[in-house]
Amino acid sequence: MTTEYAEHLRTLPDDDLGALLRLRPDLITPVPTDVTVLAARAQTRVSVARTLDTLDRFTLEILDGLRLTRDPDGHTTSLAAVVAMACAPAGGPEPARVAEAVGRLRARALVYGPDDALRLIPTVDEVCSPYLAGLGRPAAELDTAAESGGAVTALVGDPAKLRRTLLSAPPNARAVLDRLAEGPPVGTSTNRSEPVAWLLEHHLLVATADDSVELPRELGLLLRRDAGPLGQLHPEPPEVAAPPRPVASADRAGAGQAMSAVRHTEDLLEALHDEPAPVLRGGGLGVLPLRRLARAAGIGEPLAALLLETALAAGLLGELELGSETVFLPAAGYDLWRGTPLAQRWAVLAGAWLAMPRQPGLTGGRDEKDRPLTVLSPQLERAGMPAARRAVLTALAQLPPGTAPSADELLERLRWQAPRRLRGRAELHREALSEAAELGVTGSGALTGYGRRLLDVGHGDPDADPLGLRPEAELPPEQTPLVTALAALLPPPVDHVLVQADLTVVVPGPPESALAAELDLVADHESGGGASVYRVTAASLRRALDAGYAGADLHALFQRRSRTAVPQALTYLIDDVARTHGGLRAGAAQAYLRSDDEGLVSAALADRRLSALQLRRLAPTVLVTPFSSGRLVTALREAGYAPVPEDATGAAVLTRPKSRRAAPRAALEPQPDPLEAPGLTEPRLLGIVEEIRRGEARARAARRAPAEVRAAAGHPMSSLTAVQAHSQALAVLQQAVRDKAKVWVGYVDAHGANASRLVRPVSLGAGYLRAEDDRTQTLHTFALHRITAAAPAD
Amino acid sequence: MTNGPLIVQSDKTLLLEVDHPDATACRMAIAPFAELERSPEHMHTYRLTPLGLWNARAAGHDAESVVDALLRFSRYPVPHSLLVDVADTMDRYGRLQLLNDPAHGLVLRGLDRAVLIEVAKSKKVAGMLGAQLDPDTIAVHPSERGHLKQVLLKLGWPAEDLAGYVDGEAHEIALRQDGWQLRSYQREAVEHFQAGGSGVVVLPCGAGKTLVGAAAMAQVSATTLILVTNTVAGRQWRRELLARTTLTEDEIGEYSGERKEIRPVTIATYQVLTTRRGGAFPHLSVFEARDWGLIVYDEVHLLPAPMFRFTADLQARRRLGLTATLVREDGKEGDVFSLIGPKRYDAPWKDIESQGWIAPADCTEVRVSLTDEERMRYATAEPEEKYRVAATVHSKLPVIEALIERHAGEQVLVIGGYLDQLHEIGRFLTDRGTETPIVHGATTTKERERLFDAFRDGSLRTLILSKVGNFSIDLPEAAVAIQVSGTFGSRQEEAQRLGRVLRPKSDGRQAHFYSVVSRDTVDTDYAAHRQRFLAEQGYAYTIVDAADVLSPEPPGGA
Repeated sequence: MTTEYAEHLRTLPDDDLGALLRLRPDLITPVPTDVTVLAARAQTRVSVARTLDTLDRFTLEILDGLRLTRDPDGHTTSLAAVVAMACAPAGGPEPARVAEAVGRLRARALVYGPDDALRLIPTVDEVCSPYLAGLGRPAAELDTAAESGGAVTALVGDPAKLRRTLLSAPPNARAVLDRLAEGPPVGTSTNRSEPVAWLLEHHLLVATADDSVELPRELGLLLRRDAGPLGQLHPEPPEVAAPPRPVASADRAGAGQAMSAVRHTEDLLEALHDEPAPVLRGGGLGVLPLRRLARAAGIGEPLAALLLETALAAGLLGELELGSETVFLPAAGYDLWRGTPLAQRWAVLAGAWLAMPRQPGLTGGRDEKDRPLTVLSPQLERAGMPAARRAVLTALAQLPPGTAPSADELLERLRWQAPRRLRGRAELHREALSEAAELGVTGSGALTGYGRRLLDVGHGDPDADPLGLRPEAELPPEQTPLVTALAALLPPPVDHVLVQADLTVVVPGPPESALAAELDLVADHESGGGASVYRVTAASLRRALDAGYAGADLHALFQRRSRTAVPQALTYLIDDVARTHGGLRAGAAQAYLRSDDEGLVSAALADRRLSALQLRRLAPTVLVTPFSSGRLVTALREAGYAPVPEDATGAAVLTRPKSRRAAPRAALEPQPDPLEAPGLTEPRLLGIVEEIRRGEARARAARRAPAEVRAAAGHPMSSLTAVQAHSQALAVLQQAVRDKAKVWVGYVDAHGANASRLVRPVSLGAGYLRAEDDRTQTLHTFALHRITAAAPAD
Repeated sequence: MTNGPLIVQSDKTLLLEVDHPDATACRMAIAPFAELERSPEHMHTYRLTPLGLWNARAAGHDAESVVDALLRFSRYPVPHSLLVDVADTMDRYGRLQLLNDPAHGLVLRGLDRAVLIEVAKSKKVAGMLGAQLDPDTIAVHPSERGHLKQVLLKLGWPAEDLAGYVDGEAHEIALRQDGWQLRSYQREAVEHFQAGGSGVVVLPCGAGKTLVGAAAMAQVSATTLILVTNTVAGRQWRRELLARTTLTEDEIGEYSGERKEIRPVTIATYQVLTTRRGGAFPHLSVFEARDWGLIVYDEVHLLPAPMFRFTADLQARRRLGLTATLVREDGKEGDVFSLIGPKRYDAPWKDIESQGWIAPADCTEVRVSLTDEERMRYATAEPEEKYRVAATVHSKLPVIEALIERHAGEQVLVIGGYLDQLHEIGRFLTDRGTETPIVHGATTTKERERLFDAFRDGSLRTLILSKVGNFSIDLPEAAVAIQVSGTFGSRQEEAQRLGRVLRPKSDGRQAHFYSVVSRDTVDTDYAAHRQRFLAEQGYAYTIVDAADVLSPEPPGGA
């Protein structure tokens, strides 16, 4: 069986083998040594499951068809059989479509052999649902499972009786049957209702457990007379009802949203800058700081969480240890980012959003241990999120431009494209779609023109242009197709303002970065969006004066920037603030020297012996020095003056001479002789002996195991990484379970010691390997994560 | 990218560029749903609020027209989420309706069952709702009609009040339009009120709100209760009604501290209605004294909080609110919306002024430098005394005199907040040969009437007003107002005081509004706060130095 499959792979032309590796790239990490290894790996559960995940609904339905048409013992089927089954009912798909689907399965090496003797690799049955095509197990199997003594087999074996029983079923019982026939064929009924009881009594259903029932396969096929044995097939993806609208309107709506997303991000980070928020002990930002930030930015908390996460992913936000606590602050890259054009700022955010493996929508909920999930905390990590975002955007991009499907419609399409991947992840995708709307990747529900470009970012083929010679590879960040496409939709930056009598300054568009920097200094930001409104206040002008502007500079600034006459109120305000600015002066001095005698003060200032003190005159009777008062007093005394030191209240400080002493030292005390007491007690000695004996046993065991098992057991002589060795070990074990062969298993025991054993694997699952030891006649259970290596015994 | 006049901000403000050619069309389109917040010279600021959107919805505009107006006039792309938010908010109004059921009386009907259940489960409505009549209808205790509307607004599901009004006792009232007629905007205001049944009309001081009230009374033609701020304002109403309508002396009653008359048209003051005696309001019976068909609230923005409670019980009667501004310093705009009614009409000051209905005003701030002694006193004053010290400096006196001299031959009002200062000004001016009486809270009504009459007929040129000047007193001939001190920069006060001089003059003269402030003190700061309001209303302030006013040369600043 295995050899046959390997033989099939071996005979494939190089192109087909290459195509297989392209479709199943997980087969080449690490690169297999030969086709046998490749065949073993291609049949592992992980690899098969991963491949099935990429297949669309129709192909999976045809795969079920192949499984269903297999002859009972030979495990082979034929293309003709499955075409006949799938295309038989009215409205079934074209035979060519079915052949295409089989071709897809064949290209992935899930199916092999000639068209009239197709074979499936057995792992497919392990990975797929036991209820193939939504049908129950055959009656014979069910009879064995339910120990019903062959009653069901007898019933389905007598078509006339089966038909009679079916026709005599009461209508509500028939409804139950029809529902189970559509699939899945298993139902649970906690309180055996009347129809279910009737069906059980007449053996049309089988009770497989206390509260679940199953419909036998033969009966299911009978009930599916009209739809065909495979049930309703879905050769085409579901349609989207919404007609496409002009792309321009989606672009405008999206661009507006993109602008406000960037603006809100800036507001959030500015608020964080004004008042840094502490990092919680388990990581993340607390509920109250999030609420505060959201309020400061004037947005809801869910949006604030999304934008903060995006900012973190974009490197605009970071942690800093401030004193005793760690806080969240805008990161160093934030200033650089703020200086770039609006479209580029958005591109950075959108790129980070697309790539971040986090689910901000969880914020505010609770995890399985009922702990609150906070934004920016490690608990929001969801590895599937980037794939979900890309899947949602790709699905939108496949629709005609301007189409705005509802979230449900889009999910239905995604479910068709990769039903296995979407299982249990619908919420993730739904969230990705709403995130895209909030960030302006979509506008009015349709993918925007620039959003389409976002999908290209980071997805160019590096091999196509290995030397980076093509012009687009050299594009500076502000000229990438994404940025230019968005920039064309955004208002151009303006370099002028409107100054009004109520002291507001309006920038009628996004300000140039130089203008924004000036206004940030001289005025307070009041409202943002399409335009920016700033308010000039006495405090903001004072801030500008502190930063080095003079009154005349401020007048000139407003004259230069304003398109309208500068109102008189502003002129007066600037003059008022500039006049009072600097009226009081503050500075640092270590000590002062004062005297009521102006002459004496002047003498001290002029004294050349005191020049080292750098005395400066503040007032006729006050001098200050940058040196300490002690040094001042000493220097003055040495120069022959008679100063008296003062304390903070102005009272004279009186001192007496004091003797100097070194730092205190402890005296030595007598200690016992270290050689006299060996400290080797009896139990400790016995422990050491046992340790030696165990080491001996371990060495003996290790000697018997093959080299690669021993190598993996702690000696890094293998060329494989630990992870690769482990997955290779699992492949060997799975094969051994199938072949019932003996293997050497290297593992780490409960004490952390390495050991190896010769065993015969029985089953592999739920994280454990169960295996027989022929020598001791016992069944061992190994935790899979403890297994370091496995090698077939020869 | 269009080149529209409107810029939509992410904090839901709308900036309208006034000089843009499409500005007028845009203003017409957004006025129904956006509230004008500031109107300085270049960029007017409107705000989208739930109240404003519900006001628009109440007036019959739908979300589609709002979104369309925003998209049509916006210069830049509008964020999609904002449009969604607008549509969602507008959708909330009218999901619940208050109806008059022929069998069960007042009922709350939900057009959306989930909303009705959500609201009915709220603790805040406990005790207001009666039995559930069917899945979409819940009985409402008739006495709770107003309270329920208040609570529903707070819950974010404002109810549409379709329960109708009692007609009240009919009483023939008609306008006597001999030699005058209603101005166009007054007519529009009355029409909007008539269509809505209850609501607020916003008009600037001096734009003839009294006439809107009179016209509304004529439309309803029923017994009317008029609530005013004080007795003097009440007398003005009476005078106006006698002059402009067919009502006679005998038909108008006054219910105030002095007189307690109930007539077909009764004018009552807020003060007497909110007088408490032993924890109870003894004069509440006025509301039940007759079967009133209309209740007029003058100066809604000053409506005292207890009046809201009384109003909550009057929901079956037609209500008309009149005010210059919906801005309430206590932030109870929502109560005005739910209890008196949505805004029915609004016209910006500058528009009415440009139509010539109110006098154009020229606002000037005169900065007085303090003497060294005064600066010292100010510097050492306790923080709570600082404003008083700064506002009442003696250095202001010569400036006031110079301003009065500059406007010799015109009617001048001097308005201030501190009685000591006003008396001082009075003595100062009287000593200089100008007889200048003071009207303040303690002046008897009779004396007030006499002084106002003298001022109106021109025999008295200068009058000093204390805080009573903040309330509606009709002195149409006042052309100059000099403000010497105020109440810590209250914006409402500034609007009222400006209103004193905004009445149209018989010869179309320019009105002047001066603020005399002390340089480099909190007085300047408060003045800046007050004038910000005026600048937002489109009045540019000129700032001049006291020296320019006092110098004998021809004045350059005014």
